Amino acid sequence: MKPGVWQRLDIIARGLFPAFSVFVLLLINLLPISVPLLSTASPALALMAVFYWSVNRPDLLTGVTAFLLGLLQDLLMGLPLGVSSLVLLLVQTGSASQGRFFHNKPFSVMWWGFALVAIPALLVQWLLSSALIGALLPIKATLISYVLTAVLFPTVAWVLARAQNSLLRYV
Amino acid sequence: MAQHGGPQQRIFSPLRTALHRFAFILLIFSAFGLMLLGKADTVLIERIRAASADLVSPVMNIVSRPAASINELTDKIYNLAHLYEENERLRRENQHLLAWQQAARNLSHENARLRDLAGYTSPPALHLVTSRVIADMGGAYAHSVMISAGSRDGVSKGQAVISDEGLVGRVAEAGYQASRVLLITDINSRVPVVVENSRDRAFLSGDNTNRPLLTFLTADAAVAPGDRILTSGHGGAFPPGIPIGVVSSVSENAVRVAPMFRRHQLEYLRVADYDLHGILSNERIQQSQSANNENTVDVSPDIPDGVGIVPATPDPAGEAQ
Repeated sequence: MKPGVWQRLDIIARGLFPAFSVFVLLLINLLPISVPLLSTASPALALMAVFYWSVNRPDLLTGVTAFLLGLLQDLLMGLPLGVSSLVLLLVQTGSASQGRFFHNKPFSVMWWGFALVAIPALLVQWLLSSALIGALLPIKATLISYVLTAVLFPTVAWVLARAQNSLLRYV
Repeated sequence: MAQHGGPQQRIFSPLRTALHRFAFILLIFSAFGLMLLGKADTVLIERIRAASADLVSPVMNIVSRPAASINELTDKIYNLAHLYEENERLRRENQHLLAWQQAARNLSHENARLRDLAGYTSPPALHLVTSRVIADMGGAYAHSVMISAGSRDGVSKGQAVISDEGLVGRVAEAGYQASRVLLITDINSRVPVVVENSRDRAFLSGDNTNRPLLTFLTADAAVAPGDRILTSGHGGAFPPGIPIGVVSSVSENAVRVAPMFRRHQLEYLRVADYDLHGILSNERIQQSQSANNENTVDVSPDIPDGVGIVPATPDPAGEAQ
């Protein structure tokens, strides 16, 4: 039986969910939150989601999507253009190729994997941003940002896993 | 698709991997291309940034409201817990301020009389646009916030943004309904300032920490912790006398300033249009560019053309009578 128009639209909409979730996390990152620590360094929520989806569903979050989401992040946050694109693209490609390693392993393995991937990702971001701005950015904020990112990963991953189970089981 | 073995698969599978690899390399190059473009064509990038701010501002405008109300709730709980101390502190501050009020009244009367005597021209009138902070873009690499006012409300690039306490930053890009404000703590921010007591001039340079630096301070400048820092008004970007912060530390190689505002508590900001065009506006840049060509192209004097009343040249004979 050929799938109908609505069914196909439904599948397409579900397929767009990973990219959409990264976009939503980007917006959450932008929320003004009155916690002193978060205004100096915020967790890289988009990075977590890109890692999660490229490990679990690399077919739904391709390199091009990661690139475009990075571009959006740079535009919205006032960062030097192209840096986040490059970082997210590298993370997507790297994690998608190693995705099988994490399948059928406990969650802690994926957490460790993310904690390892986030180090070079944030370092590259810091280095390139510093180079493009033309002055060394304080590394302390990046370190705080890294710790927050690594600590908050399970929460974000749990939410994304719930969404994946309910929305993307048959897509 | 992988189930179908056969000649097709044998041809297309390597082709697809090659294509993937090619796309990856292409994307890497375009990322670096974007970095170059961001450095080269700032006007275009500014427009795109402003457009993207406009794009998300309706969503952020709604979503930031619950966040603000949660903040209010935590504030309320904190206030309840510290009610007594706060009251005591405010009582003392009120006494102190009443004394200052008297002093300020006397001084403002005296000032008005002296201005009359000296024929002082008062500074341009101030036009304020109040707007809400709808996003905090931030973190480790940039210090900026998004506000819910744009060119629609009369906000344009380069205008001063102030909070209740003092200068917060300047408008970096103005979209139609939202704009990005570059905070004075951002690494790209430079503000001409003056030390209140000693009138020493300097630049306040952000370095992405919460304590921006005073740079280009003269060697004999007398700066001590606790000195207030004000805008100096040089360069025509900001009007003089807006409070910015207090000197927090003075060491051999760095003087740091604690800004008046607290970034995580920014909620409502005012964009101040002092009718100063500043050095940042596009018109100024275009003017300065066209000024070079003026001598070569436009040598003829202005002659009013077209039908209608031509402004009469003043008649020297008539004036003489």
